[in-house]
Amino acid sequence: MLIRIASLLVTALLTAVASAQPVLNVYTNPSFAAEWGPGPGIKAAFEQQCDCQLNLVVMESGGDILQRLRLEGADSQADVVLGLDTGTLEAARKTGLLAPHQVNLANLDLPIDWTDPVFVPFDWGYFAFVYDREQLPNPPASLEALINAPDDLKIIIQDPRTSTPGLGLLLWMRKVYGDQAPAMWEKLKGKILTTTKSWSDGYFSLFMNGEAPMILSYSTSPAYHMAVDKTDRYQAAAFSEGHYLQVEVAALVKHSDQQALGRQFLQFMLTPAFQRHIPLKNVMYPAIDLGSELPDVFQRLIQPEKTLYFDPAEVARERRNWLDEWLNAMTR
Amino acid sequence: MHPTPGAPLSHPGWQKWPGTLLALAILLIALGGAGALLWQAPIPDLPRLWHNPYLRGVLSFSLWQAGLSVLLSLLLALPVARALDRQRHFPGRALLLRLMELSLVLPTIVAVSGIVGVYGRHGWLTGLLQGWHPALNWNLYGIHGILLAHVFFNAPLAARILLQALDGIPTPPKRIASQLGLGALWRWRALEWPALKPVIPGVAALIFTLCFTSFAIVMTLGGGPSTTTLEVEIYQSLRFEFDFGRAALLALIQLLVCGSLWWLVARRPLSATLVPDRRLGQLPPRRDNGPGVKIRDTALLSAFTLFLLLPLLAILVRGVPGLVDLFAPATGDAALSRMVQATLRSLAIALPAGLMAVVSALLMLASQRTASRVATLAPYLPLILPPLVLGTGLFLLLRPRLGSSAEGLMLVALINAMMALPFVLQLLKGPLNALDQASARQADQLGILGWYRWRWLYWPRLRRPLALGMAYGTGLSLGDFGVIALFGTPDQPTLPMLLYQQLGSYQMSAAAASGLWLILLLLALFGLFNLLGRPAAGTGVRSGANVEKLEPVHA
Repeated sequence: MLIRIASLLVTALLTAVASAQPVLNVYTNPSFAAEWGPGPGIKAAFEQQCDCQLNLVVMESGGDILQRLRLEGADSQADVVLGLDTGTLEAARKTGLLAPHQVNLANLDLPIDWTDPVFVPFDWGYFAFVYDREQLPNPPASLEALINAPDDLKIIIQDPRTSTPGLGLLLWMRKVYGDQAPAMWEKLKGKILTTTKSWSDGYFSLFMNGEAPMILSYSTSPAYHMAVDKTDRYQAAAFSEGHYLQVEVAALVKHSDQQALGRQFLQFMLTPAFQRHIPLKNVMYPAIDLGSELPDVFQRLIQPEKTLYFDPAEVARERRNWLDEWLNAMTR
Repeated sequence: MHPTPGAPLSHPGWQKWPGTLLALAILLIALGGAGALLWQAPIPDLPRLWHNPYLRGVLSFSLWQAGLSVLLSLLLALPVARALDRQRHFPGRALLLRLMELSLVLPTIVAVSGIVGVYGRHGWLTGLLQGWHPALNWNLYGIHGILLAHVFFNAPLAARILLQALDGIPTPPKRIASQLGLGALWRWRALEWPALKPVIPGVAALIFTLCFTSFAIVMTLGGGPSTTTLEVEIYQSLRFEFDFGRAALLALIQLLVCGSLWWLVARRPLSATLVPDRRLGQLPPRRDNGPGVKIRDTALLSAFTLFLLLPLLAILVRGVPGLVDLFAPATGDAALSRMVQATLRSLAIALPAGLMAVVSALLMLASQRTASRVATLAPYLPLILPPLVLGTGLFLLLRPRLGSSAEGLMLVALINAMMALPFVLQLLKGPLNALDQASARQADQLGILGWYRWRWLYWPRLRRPLALGMAYGTGLSLGDFGVIALFGTPDQPTLPMLLYQQLGSYQMSAAAASGLWLILLLLALFGLFNLLGRPAAGTGVRSGANVEKLEPVHA
């Protein structure tokens, strides 16, 4: 009996000690926090140096992170949000719920200059069409060639209304063709096998089932297939017009009571201890130069000659119009 | 009628209040959800929304495809249910019933992968079809694909509920029909149609609602934005535009369409059977079961089995390599223990959710004789309102705290139970109302009330439907991803979450394995509950005066 009480006391004390450590709540998406994702390694590395507990809270997607933050408002338990991207960050900024990061961005290594005072990039990638070499030995070499290809070349894309890469393609077309984009969509339409809700729906249910030889994805996707699946079968097609850029970002929540710790985490994001988990576990480019730590397969990825990018504020302003244009072109 | 002193729970209030309160709670939560959204945002310009030609197109497409899906599902389900009722010794009948139960609870992404494997551009059947008749030019993507998938999901559900209604026809009329030598047409008019008539409107409304609110299937198989449902628009408004007002308004339109359908369905009073339900061990022979009919039925049931089985086989073929890898010693224990833990976590949510769904369904059905129509309709709200709207509303109402995972899991179980409620209600409604008035009056006179009435009159009748309801409730919760993701959980995944994490990280083979594992688990669950639902020989409670022998192989 005594022993039992004693052990209960000890347990209670231990939990008290554990909870005396500050806790940093980070809202993020499932693939980041997955056991084989970058989350666990990053958690261990950060906890080693912060004397705190890093608590990853999983939301369904970047959109949900923002949604949850808005719903919680000033009472939010989030200290840091991680997993927004260049498509959603302007909406996040407008909530007024995020604080300036005050992080030194000097060692960032992105294809564009980044000076945003609120959002800190943690990885980036290009949208690209991934193709199956067994089905399609000679993929189109440009967006132009894809649009003018015969209609029996089938591609799978994602819906810009519900998916990040889908919106990426919309912006890509707009950047290349400007006001001509709707006409180009009409020409592309015959080649679109289907438009899925999310990247996973298309990749798993259709592309990996061999339904179409090409799918809208990331230029880094082949890195995973080459490094982990050990196959060269899936490659990204390099388009001569250039590729559209996606940058994934994190930010500090204004009402957080762990401001200092949150900033420490954001700064930690731009160190090799965080970034070395990105290339193969998040299958994106790291946000800093990892030097020789960058896996070899990344040397074998396509290197777009031109980076296409809209200012997030412009995207936020024009999104609705461009979506309507797209809808009109596709349902005509 | 005065309750016998000492009969527990015999006060009429016990029948009325728990169910009514539950219904009110659901009503509050559902309308609170939509209301909270409207309160958070200005109401958009109504006439402008209405005159938007695009939105009107979306609405009419949603209506059209849902209507067609209901029609096709019922057209397939009716002959299948009748054939299953006639052919009690069809080889593999029990397995076919399990497959029929399974189709509803399959996670969409896994099922779609199976459908694509069979009917897609490089699908098994497509290959056969093209070789046999190249001019046919079958293309899955478009309205055909949507309808095919909707029939795949819903025809089995409909057939299952219809079969249950046919099973509920009492033996005496069957015996009379047999003695009169009624042929198929007269048997249909005298026995089958009266049994099916009260059930069909509810089934149709159920399928209509499921298809009207269908989302990922419509997008994946629809081919493009010309096949958009209202649910897509709601999702977009909430998730990407953060236009709460528009989302709530669209959700209200959805509520109006599906809700008025349910309103019509609820208007029809359920007719209780007038003939005493006394069961015999042996079913009387039937005139309408000659060799010709037998061959026709066998052909139909075989084709239906193939229709359900082929996509599952495609999932099996895709999933086996990953599953073999999982159990291979080289992989190590980490992946396997992750899967086992995710399974246990899923069951810890799904079993209580199933139980809650069944108990609430019973309480609500008990109160329905006295309840108003609004209370009768309340349990269908979780089906009609988009989960995202419901979840957002619940979030605003309940504000779950982070970190306390027990609380989070309980909440998820609760919502899953709410989502399963409409299905369980449809399953239990028929059997519960089938207690004939003569028996009920007799029981009243004998003072068999409250707990005793439940134990001796309802339980024997309901044992099997309850087990099936429990299986549906648990299965639906087991395959659910939406609710869990909505509330944000600490990094311990349930089985569907594990699947989505694998999908998001390019682990396609592992994801296929998880999908297969989930299906095997669901099959095992349905098998288990089916066993539990069978009265054990010798201890089973007999209904009516005649001793009921073990019934023929049966649901």
